[in-house]
This record gives sequence, C-alpha cells and structure tokens, in this order.
Amino acid sequence: MPPGSIPSVDAAALIGRMAARDREAFSRFYDAFAGPVLGLIRRVLRDVGASEEVLQEVFWQIWQDAPQYDARRGSPEAWVFMRAKSRAIDKLRSIRRREKTFVLPVDEAVARVTASGTENPDEAAEGRGAIQSALAQLPAVQRRVIELAFFEGLTQSEISARLGEPLGTVKTRARLGLERLRGILKGERVTAI
Amino acid sequence: MTREETRDLAAAYALGALDAGDRGRFELLLRTGDADAVDALNEFETTLTGLSAEHVVTPPASVKTALMARIAAQGQIASPAPVTRRSWWPALWATALAAGLGAIVVGLYVSVSYERRLDTLAREAAALHDTLEREQQIIALVRDPATAIVALNGLDPAPSAHARMLWNPPAGGLLVVAGLPPAPEGKTYQLWAIAGKEPPVSAGIFSVDAKGTGSLRVSALPGIRAVDVFAVTVEPAGGLPAPSGKMYLASKS
Repeated sequence: MPPGSIPSVDAAALIGRMAARDREAFSRFYDAFAGPVLGLIRRVLRDVGASEEVLQEVFWQIWQDAPQYDARRGSPEAWVFMRAKSRAIDKLRSIRRREKTFVLPVDEAVARVTASGTENPDEAAEGRGAIQSALAQLPAVQRRVIELAFFEGLTQSEISARLGEPLGTVKTRARLGLERLRGILKGERVTAI
Repeated sequence: MTREETRDLAAAYALGALDAGDRGRFELLLRTGDADAVDALNEFETTLTGLSAEHVVTPPASVKTALMARIAAQGQIASPAPVTRRSWWPALWATALAAGLGAIVVGLYVSVSYERRLDTLAREAAALHDTLEREQQIIALVRDPATAIVALNGLDPAPSAHARMLWNPPAGGLLVVAGLPPAPEGKTYQLWAIAGKEPPVSAGIFSVDAKGTGSLRVSALPGIRAVDVFAVTVEPAGGLPAPSGKMYLASKS
C-alpha cells in the first residue's frame, strides 16, 4: 500500500474496539479508511450518488461484522477494501441488470449524463492513473482480464465471452496478472512473457 | 484440485470474478481451512488492496453523520465500551451449561416416558394377541362339525342363571355363563365334567363380572371321550380336586 494513502492507525486494534461496540473507534476507523474506500468504489461505479450509498453500506457492514474479523484471514486493509470492492461490483451488476430490463426515459437518461453526480472525467483519469501505471507493466492480455474484472465487474465467464477466449485461459491470465502485479508493487523487475 | 487450480480460483475470487459454481467451490475450501486457498487469497487480496488504496476521494460529511446516527439508533453503543468481549464468556458458558443440563433432564424424562409408554404398548399388544388367539380357537371350535353345544341351566342358588358349553372332546371347549351372582369372598366357581359313573373331573375355575357373565376356555380332558354332564359348583378359591360346594349350574344328562 502506498505510504500516506491511509493515516497511520492501528486498524486491527480499532476493529477490536469496534467489536466491543466502541463508537469512538468506529469514528477513527472511518476517518482513516473512508477516503481510499470511496476512491475504490468510485473507480468501479463512476457515479457519485451510488458510490456514497455503497460507502455507507460498506462501513455499516464493517461495524456489524467487526466481532467476526479474523486477523489470520487477512489484514484489516484487505478486509475493508475487498468488502468495498465486492459491494461496488454488486451494485454495478445490479445497475446493469436494471438497465437491461428497463429503457430509461429520455429525460432521465439525459439527467444521468449531465447531473453533478456523474463522474468527473478528470478526477476519474487521475484516480485511475496510479493503477494504470502498475497495470501498464502487465502483458496486454493479462491487463485486459484484470481490468474487465476489476473495473467493470465481469465474471470470468463474461470475460471469456467478451474476449472470445477459452474460460481456462481467462482463469490463468487473471492469476498470472495478479502474481505479476504483486511483484510490481513490491518493486520487482517484471520481464515480459 | 491442484495448487495451481486453487490459485486460479483465489485470483478470480479476489477480483470478484468467479462464477457462482466456482465461488461455491472456493468458499468451501476456505471454510475447511485449506492452507493453499487461504494463503493464495491473502496474497491476491493484499495485492489488490495495494492498488485499491491509491486513490483517495473525500466523502461528504453527510455520509459519516448518517452512519453515526444509524449506529446510535441501534442502541448497542458504548463509548468507550464498558463491557469487554471477554466478560460475555462466563454468561455464555453458564447459559450453555444450563442448556446442556436442561437438555439432559428433558432427555431422561422423555426417555423414561417413552419406556413406560413402550411397556404399556407391549402389554396391550400381548393382551390383544392372547384375545385374538382365543377368538381364533373359538371360531375354529364353532366351525368344527364335531363340536356340540350343551346347555346348562340354573339351579336353586341361582335359578335364573344359564350357560352354554361348546364341547369338542379332542380340542376342548368353551363355557359361557350369564346370570350368576359374584362368587362369595374367598370362593370361586368351578366347572366339572362327569362321564358315566366316574368321579367328576375338574375342567377349570372361573369368575363372573358385576353383570354375572363370564367364560372359561377348557382344554381337552385326557381320558374322557364322552362327557355326560357338565356342572358348576362354588368352591374355595383355587378350586378343589372334587366338588364340595353347592351346584349352581348343570346340564341335563
């Protein structure tokens, strides 16, 4: 994790206090994580209103599930961000299903584009910049699979259909891509395929 | 499943890209504590967390305000927490212990009740079996052309009493009586079979109910092929080898 993106807090200790229903601990935990969590949600959803709605649900779930947190299953950061991403993707898929089912009225469709809640392109580009720089170091086929899953919330079967590639190939590329990203984030030199 | 397959699943799971079937398989691995699955998921989630945390968007204050209000409304808040998690354990153990003891007591009660019920049912079944067997013997007796029906009439002690004897020498018979008064305290009715000039032979003892009715199943009487008279006397409880009391019923010779 890049230094400075999350204020220095003992996240595990805060979760322990939240498990004991300590509201002050929750407040500090929220202050530490809400910004980067919203950044992640916005990268997936690209809609301000829906993103803030998901943000609230994610932290509510964190408050509820704090007693079940198990440090052996992962870091507090992973616990928070994987929940946020999962919720954001669920929301994205829900929106897609709704859009497949209903044809939006013209006025609403226009409002979706022009409303202040719609993603700011500059902000979005900035937000994706850091990730894109890491992803850019991946072979294109691996990068594409990760982008479709990470940003667009597609399942492997959907990615397979979208790319016209066998499902097994998609699975392997996802795994290899993440393994390479791990190396990139650790500052390792990555060799091309 | 190979380690590589497990890692494929873990990568897609961390990305949120597993289809329902594969997600179920992988979550099963996690629930069973599969070390490869847990380690791989930790690795990939850490990687994605590193990417996820790069971009910060400050949320509006209204989100936190709404959350804190929601938490306050939940009514489970302590700030700071006055009760630690550990303090719940004694209460939980006590509850679990009480529940366990309660379950044992209830189990024993249910077990004893069922055993009693089973005993009752077994006795009822045995009684029904005996009744059925007797009635089958009576039916066989009645259907046998060699069975004779002998009438017994009431004598002085109970002139309104009467009885019928179904008698089949090789198979035995059945005595059915009506109108007899209950035998006096310490006494019983006894049936006798008399053949020719031979001494009476006991065919069994019986009692009657409050309505004066009763019956006696009689086994075959060894050595007696033709009975001339059936008679009923009242005798001391348990009966005697030879009649000694008053005669209440008798067939015509």
